[in-house]
Amino acid sequence: MPDLPKKKVGIIACSGEELAEGTVTRLASLKVLEELRPDETVTICLPLFLAGGEQDRAFARFYPTIAVDGCDKRCAARSTEMHSGTPAAEIVVTDFVDGGDLGSGRQLSAEGMKAADVVAERIAETVDDLLGVRWDRRRGKAVEDVEQAEGAEAVGETEKESEARVAACACGSGIPVQKVQVNGNEITFIALPLIFERFHEQGKPPKDGTAEELMETVKIYTPVPEAEEEAYQEAVMREYARYWEEES
Amino acid sequence: MSEKKRRVMLVPCSGLGKSLGTVSREAAYEVLEDLRPDETGLTPLSLLVLGDEETRAAVADNVAVAIDGCKLACASKMVEESGGQVARGFAVLDAYRRHRDFKPRGIAELNEGGKKLAHALAEEIAEAVDDLSKDEEEEQDA
Repeated sequence: MPDLPKKKVGIIACSGEELAEGTVTRLASLKVLEELRPDETVTICLPLFLAGGEQDRAFARFYPTIAVDGCDKRCAARSTEMHSGTPAAEIVVTDFVDGGDLGSGRQLSAEGMKAADVVAERIAETVDDLLGVRWDRRRGKAVEDVEQAEGAEAVGETEKESEARVAACACGSGIPVQKVQVNGNEITFIALPLIFERFHEQGKPPKDGTAEELMETVKIYTPVPEAEEEAYQEAVMREYARYWEEES
Repeated sequence: MSEKKRRVMLVPCSGLGKSLGTVSREAAYEVLEDLRPDETGLTPLSLLVLGDEETRAAVADNVAVAIDGCKLACASKMVEESGGQVARGFAVLDAYRRHRDFKPRGIAELNEGGKKLAHALAEEIAEAVDDLSKDEEEEQDA
């Protein structure tokens, strides 16, 4: 059975090459990804939000994401917000250093390396905090925020998310997505290929009895407007029938 | 009066998941700081992704050399996305194919093979910088 991804926290470093602080973000993030919280974290290269595909741009909606920036330009946080989703948390290196000599972008000084350790610890603490937060992948927000804004309707759906699936590595494998025509519009469904795979392996045919359960799973990852629910279901079932035929 | 001389802007990969990204950055730093400091500048991809006007202008108004770490070619794509043109593109994987003895390992810190590969790539980039600078001078003289 394919794994739907377990909850992980995304980390996006600015990695700004011209400043020592940018190198601090990269080394701090690496330390968290490789040493401090390897099983709980995943990353993606910031440029892939533009140079990559829809699956890359889904990153910050899918994973509660920590943007790690070197300076107050906040490239990672602002670009993530513009191109993917609102980061769940932000960390800026200059908030943790007091003007000492960090070295250069090419080579950090001892003080720079120490700053990377401090920032890494802060990232790891934030990862732990975020793992305790329920995350709504449809909206790319913590459930608490969604509840405040729109009432408690998201709670039941997001509880399912903790059972969900795999993570992507640094360079661009991203979240599987599928584009489907709904009422003449092309809609990007996040994780749809994996959902189809799971339902197929569970032996659930594309019949009426499956539709409701399938749509409940689809809605965990992709917003389905209430007024268009029927059209979305018809389109998803049509695609699932095609998948079923190909795989059977 | 002659026009202001354009610099060669080095645009390395900013990836942190593979040693190839580190090789691309190290090669860029070596050209920038050691080999051709007077002819080159460095463009961080993060500012291009953000759409920073000054950085976009620096890429569009100067000559860009992209140094890609992997086949996703973020550096090349971002130069084009920002209104610039890749005058010369380098891929670390291609450099490795030319220098099979230098197998890169490590991300935070490159192994010896990675350092040698970065140096070999930096030498190639420096030659490209010379060619591009020469072209620029000839254009200005014309």
